[in-house]
Amino acid sequence: MNPSRFYLTLCIMLTAMFVNACKTIPTTTSQLEQARNSYVAAQNDPNVATYARTELKEADEAFNRANAAAINHESTDEIDNLAYVAERKIELTQEVGKQKAAEAQVAGAAKERDEILLALRTKEADQAKQSAALSQETANAAQIETQQEQIRSAQLAAELANLAAKKTERGMVVTLGDVLFGTGKAELNPKGMNTAQKLADVLKKNPERTVLIEGHTDNRGSPAHNRELSERRAAAVRDALVSMGIDANRVTIHGYGADSPVAPNNTAENRQLNRRVEIILSDENGKIS
Amino acid sequence: MIQHSLIKRIPCCVALLFLFSGCANLEAPATAAVAVGKAAVDSATAAGGSQFAPTEMQLASNELSGANQALAVKDYERAQVLANKAQVDANLAQGKANSAKAQAAANALQDNIRIMREELNRTTQ
Repeated sequence: MNPSRFYLTLCIMLTAMFVNACKTIPTTTSQLEQARNSYVAAQNDPNVATYARTELKEADEAFNRANAAAINHESTDEIDNLAYVAERKIELTQEVGKQKAAEAQVAGAAKERDEILLALRTKEADQAKQSAALSQETANAAQIETQQEQIRSAQLAAELANLAAKKTERGMVVTLGDVLFGTGKAELNPKGMNTAQKLADVLKKNPERTVLIEGHTDNRGSPAHNRELSERRAAAVRDALVSMGIDANRVTIHGYGADSPVAPNNTAENRQLNRRVEIILSDENGKIS
Repeated sequence: MIQHSLIKRIPCCVALLFLFSGCANLEAPATAAVAVGKAAVDSATAAGGSQFAPTEMQLASNELSGANQALAVKDYERAQVLANKAQVDANLAQGKANSAKAQAAANALQDNIRIMREELNRTTQ
């Protein structure tokens, strides 16, 4: 065979094959289909476009090679192999997209965390300052309270001294002697009213305190009479205090008759000592022990 | 005439040469591809591929050993193909491991922020 004719024939055959190939649809395989589906998914993934451009370019190239092999009707094995590689590269773009998106989130979150941390610290510092100021105020108030308390008790002590009060186990006791009452009577004389007025003033200035008024007599006369007289004298003091503006609820009375003498009833002086009204002042809580 | 036919035979000779040299040259790229595939598998293993993407890791490792076997029997074409597959599977495994780790870090930080925000709101009240 003439060599030039051989080449001509070969050319015609190749052209015919080429044209034929162009006319038919490209070969496809399930592997290639899978790669196509992954490609669509990756293209619809915003993270891929934002964060995985380089990987997407490589995946594009691999995908194009697989598609070209399909168009050129290369062997199914060849197409599958290229499609496999392309599919993995496409999947990788989505993983890289996910990774970068998460990293961006971390970067943003770190900033957010720092802001919250700062807000927390500021809040804590403010609260510490506030509580320091508050405790200072409390301390000041307590100090003022103590000072006022001291002043009040000093005043009370002075006023009670004025009333010749005695400090006893039961509290401060003011004794109104027999001479402040009319003889054998239950009415206070002007001097007694004067003492009662001083007592009323003390009670007005110390509204938390209450008084117990106890009446006593000597042992002359019947016990019943003595008891009644002692009670009436105590009541007379109460009535005097109430008339001076003291609430009756703050005053308790009791008549003991001759049961609680302060001295033996053997002389006129001692008997006079026993005829008395004792006024016991409560503590600042209104209690009398 | 003899010279003329010789000239005409040159393309044939070149083609033959290409064919032979092509066969001989397949060994080098296949060996290189296997090395690249192994490096990819090693890198993915270091990144925790077995933990986060066990399927891809297993595939890559099988493909790599297949590629090495093909290399041993001088099937360079098959070695090349398997090495390429091992490489892309390993890369994917590494990508999955990295994204899983990044996502875990992001979630942990979000949790942290949520707790701190609650703390902030609590102390504000």
